[in-house]
Amino acid sequence: MTGTAVTVEDQLRAILRDVLGVDAARAAAIDDDTPLFGAMPELDSMAVAGLLTEIEDRLHILIDDDEVDGEMLESFGSLAAFVRAKRGA
Amino acid sequence: MTAGAGPRVHTYGDGEAMLGFGPATGLQLLVLQPLFEEMNRTRALVSAICRGLAQRGIGCWLPDLPGTGESPQPLDTLSWRDWSDAVPTAIAATGVPISGSVAFRGGALLDGGVAGRHWRLAPTGGRSLLSDLRRSALASGSDPATPAGYVLSADLAGALAAADIVADDRTRTVRLVSDDRPADLRVDGIPVWRRPEPQQDEALAALLVDDIVAWSTA
Repeated sequence: MTGTAVTVEDQLRAILRDVLGVDAARAAAIDDDTPLFGAMPELDSMAVAGLLTEIEDRLHILIDDDEVDGEMLESFGSLAAFVRAKRGA
Repeated sequence: MTAGAGPRVHTYGDGEAMLGFGPATGLQLLVLQPLFEEMNRTRALVSAICRGLAQRGIGCWLPDLPGTGESPQPLDTLSWRDWSDAVPTAIAATGVPISGSVAFRGGALLDGGVAGRHWRLAPTGGRSLLSDLRRSALASGSDPATPAGYVLSADLAGALAAADIVADDRTRTVRLVSDDRPADLRVDGIPVWRRPEPQQDEALAALLVDDIVAWSTA
């Protein structure tokens, strides 16, 4: 981790940029209410696999396959809440 | 052969393919490619870097591991030992002294077989590569036992699950700026190994060539 105050949301935006190829402006505009799975065309089921693995690697959590459901990926806010809960923060 | 010409086609071990780029004298590096689907996604980046290094007078050797790329061997028969043994076998087949390695992603799990120093781009552990394969299979509805067409022996899967990246004073780790794990250098670029559609990032390739040249000649 870097010493700067990088939020979970910042890290998730960076991961979405990397995995989905979302440009910087679009990534910056993502907020808690932004719908993800089913609404973001780049986020197909294969991209979900890459997204989850990058979240594990960069946010230092482990995600069980049975924790992955529509609710977790419904919006950016729900994904961030899931990650926060996993990190115990 | 001049540095500007195309790669030379070599073989090593049991009919495995290895490309040679650039001069066969002077500094020589072994290049370890990413594993599984990431190998296909990074083909353009890896070749651009090998060509770039060749133009700068550095010889590069790019083996396909057994069961990958042009290999005549089926992946499902191979053990982790087959992969780790392939590295010194490839080095011996070059016939030149290799002074270090350039490894991409999961390729870094095998660079311990190369004497000398190790340059790594976005190294990743085996467990995360396995998760990726398993989840891709789940997401695409294919059989998790043969994720994305890759059938791994129990030995290879088990060894990969335990294989992790260890950095020491002989390694230089380069990551993208969006990745906050420990690194010696962070660069801006596209993680082409994550993109399902093959992509090239010429600026990233040029930047990485510069870094490898500076590191290898320091």
